[in-house]
Amino acid sequence: MTISGNYFAGVDVGSLAAKSVILKDGEIFATGLVQSGVNSVESGLNALNLALETAGLKKEDLTYIVGTGYGRVSAPYANKAVTEITCHAKGTNYLHPTVRTIIDMGGQDCKAIRIDPDGAVVDFAMNDKCAAGTGRFLEVMAGVFKVKLEDLGSIALSATDTVPMSSTCTVFAESETISLVARGEKPENILNGIHHSIANRIAGLFSRVGIESDVFFSGGVAKNSGMKTAIEQALKVSIVKPEIDPQLIGALGAAVIARNFAKKEGLWV
Amino acid sequence: MGKQLFRYSEDNKAKFLESDNITFNDGSVVTPEEIWDYLTVEGPVKYPGTYEINLSQGNRDSRDETLPTSLKTHYLSLTFSARMEKAKKNGKTIAFIQGGQAVDPYTAADTIALRPFLVGQWYHGREHGNDIYKSVLRRKQSKETAFHDMSFEACQTGGYEHVQVGDLPIDVVAPYTVLRCSDVSYGVEAHRHGPNKDVKLINVDFPMRHQADKPWAIEYFARNLKKLVKTLDEARGKKTTEDDLWRAIRLHNEGRRLGTELADLWWSTDIPPTNSDDRNSLVALANLDMHGDVQASLSVLKEAKKIIAERVKNGVKGHAVTDNPKRLFILGSCVGINESRSEDAGAIVVGKDDQWSHCTSLVEEEGDPYYNLAKATLEYPYEQSIEKRAQWTIEQIRKSRADGVIFIHNWGCNTQAAVSRPIVDFIKRETGIPTYIHERDLHGLRDEQEQNRVNAFIEML
Ligand code: SF4
Repeated sequence: MTISGNYFAGVDVGSLAAKSVILKDGEIFATGLVQSGVNSVESGLNALNLALETAGLKKEDLTYIVGTGYGRVSAPYANKAVTEITCHAKGTNYLHPTVRTIIDMGGQDCKAIRIDPDGAVVDFAMNDKCAAGTGRFLEVMAGVFKVKLEDLGSIALSATDTVPMSSTCTVFAESETISLVARGEKPENILNGIHHSIANRIAGLFSRVGIESDVFFSGGVAKNSGMKTAIEQALKVSIVKPEIDPQLIGALGAAVIARNFAKKEGLWV
Repeated sequence: MGKQLFRYSEDNKAKFLESDNITFNDGSVVTPEEIWDYLTVEGPVKYPGTYEINLSQGNRDSRDETLPTSLKTHYLSLTFSARMEKAKKNGKTIAFIQGGQAVDPYTAADTIALRPFLVGQWYHGREHGNDIYKSVLRRKQSKETAFHDMSFEACQTGGYEHVQVGDLPIDVVAPYTVLRCSDVSYGVEAHRHGPNKDVKLINVDFPMRHQADKPWAIEYFARNLKKLVKTLDEARGKKTTEDDLWRAIRLHNEGRRLGTELADLWWSTDIPPTNSDDRNSLVALANLDMHGDVQASLSVLKEAKKIIAERVKNGVKGHAVTDNPKRLFILGSCVGINESRSEDAGAIVVGKDDQWSHCTSLVEEEGDPYYNLAKATLEYPYEQSIEKRAQWTIEQIRKSRADGVIFIHNWGCNTQAAVSRPIVDFIKRETGIPTYIHERDLHGLRDEQEQNRVNAFIEML
């Protein structure tokens, strides 16, 4: 097969999943998503290889690769590393240029990001010391109720009531949940409370950076419909519907940045 | 895999040998030849960890070897532990201090004043041959002891645990209970109830903030300073005279003046004449307390000022400084960002507020020395109300032409945590400069997450 065009890749290695996006010139050409293992170099390469395979490309066909996420510091396959905050901003802007506010919820942290019309970050805040508001927290809760992580949101949405959850720490929240179950509260109402309590913590991040419409929700947790609804209620906004899997936004942003670097360095004219 | 170690290049030796000697408190002198020998022969054997090229420690495969004072501060750090042992053997009094004070009264009483960081450096420098990994394990072990003896919730515990265990010959525990530092109360209580009460405790009571204009507060604090000097005198068996204090004040004023002149020179040019690390280690000399020897600090500082002036005149750019770096001003107590990693991300640290605050506060040289010292201490900009502190910080930010401000505080540093938000909000409102607050987690065990946030902030700038 003859390869034509310029290909740019972004690889986002997070704590729970590794993602990659390949852009052909300006269009999304292929994507890859795998679970992260203990070796972040391998996880990133697995995600990249998956996208390459889908695209029918070899690594050598890529003009430029940008690594992001916590695995970016050990990404020997990448030409450059950029933080995922910048990447989520660029990726969101690429798909939804009217967005000015991003909520990114990943496996181990949560970010509130404000961007300008060019997708440049103007301010951001992150949860600093707590797993609450992260994918990991929801994973623990799915474990408590013995349900699948991806079903948590729809279960919460079927609630008839909201049981408030006061604990700020994952460990305490786990035991609070167990005692609520023992008191006879319905699982869906407890889960609804959990989603709302996370949403309230996220709203707290926005007290630092402010909100401007449109609002976008990226990261793995953005696939959770219950979380989306709870955040919309907490922030009194409606969230823009994502055009692609929101978990790929960081990798997409990295690919967009790869294209920009290639242009700057004269590798793509 | 073998560790990659940094080596000073012989290419720079001839030039280094032309540089100045270091003169110490006891009148002894080390020559550049002796320093070079130490840094290239003895140092790498005793402290291989500090020569390790390691990303998380921010080490580089080369340092600014054409900046002689950079090598000299490295020398003073490496020889610190041995020098403390020697000073102790020669009967010198050593005090453990905390609270961010200037050390004029300790100098007057011929006492070496060591902050927690330096106490740790003394202890850890006693063991030779450790790589970074082993040093980190050893420090963690000290932390565990501190959790046991003091508290899990204090941040800068280094020092008290060694006093409790009795493994360092500290003569007196003499902190200021200044409001900036919530750790002092943990340390003081731990010492009061701890097993090693033979080590005398004097608590220098720093009146509540915002009292610099009240004569009673100045007089009260001056009395506390007298008590401090009396306690140090008891420990060393000799009396400190007012003349001794005047001499110390003049000496420290000289350091403070040189430090501010050096910083002004550094800020006067668009081309950073040194990298962040060298800048900070040179400006930090101004308080003359960084290396346990005020005269040694002063002699390196004098030379540094000459060299920086020369570099500014000739438009020399500091080692490893990127073109047009984003200029960061760092706020907060006792911590900073990883400077070389932040430089790699395209930034440079152009200033810090903490110790710089009392470097800019000269003590009047006429009148009552205790009163003057108390007055200057109460006037530290860092210890003022939020608005006053923020206004002073804005002046420093403007002088340094910073593009962004990071307020970083330790987990457990209660006062700084409380004031960080209103201070950066004030700065943002008045200057429009982007700001970022970061809380360093318990004992800095999450380097990567921290650097991720700092890099995102740099990218944003
Ligand atoms: S970090 Fe804060 S509480 Fe800890 S020693 Fe420094 S000033 Fe004190």
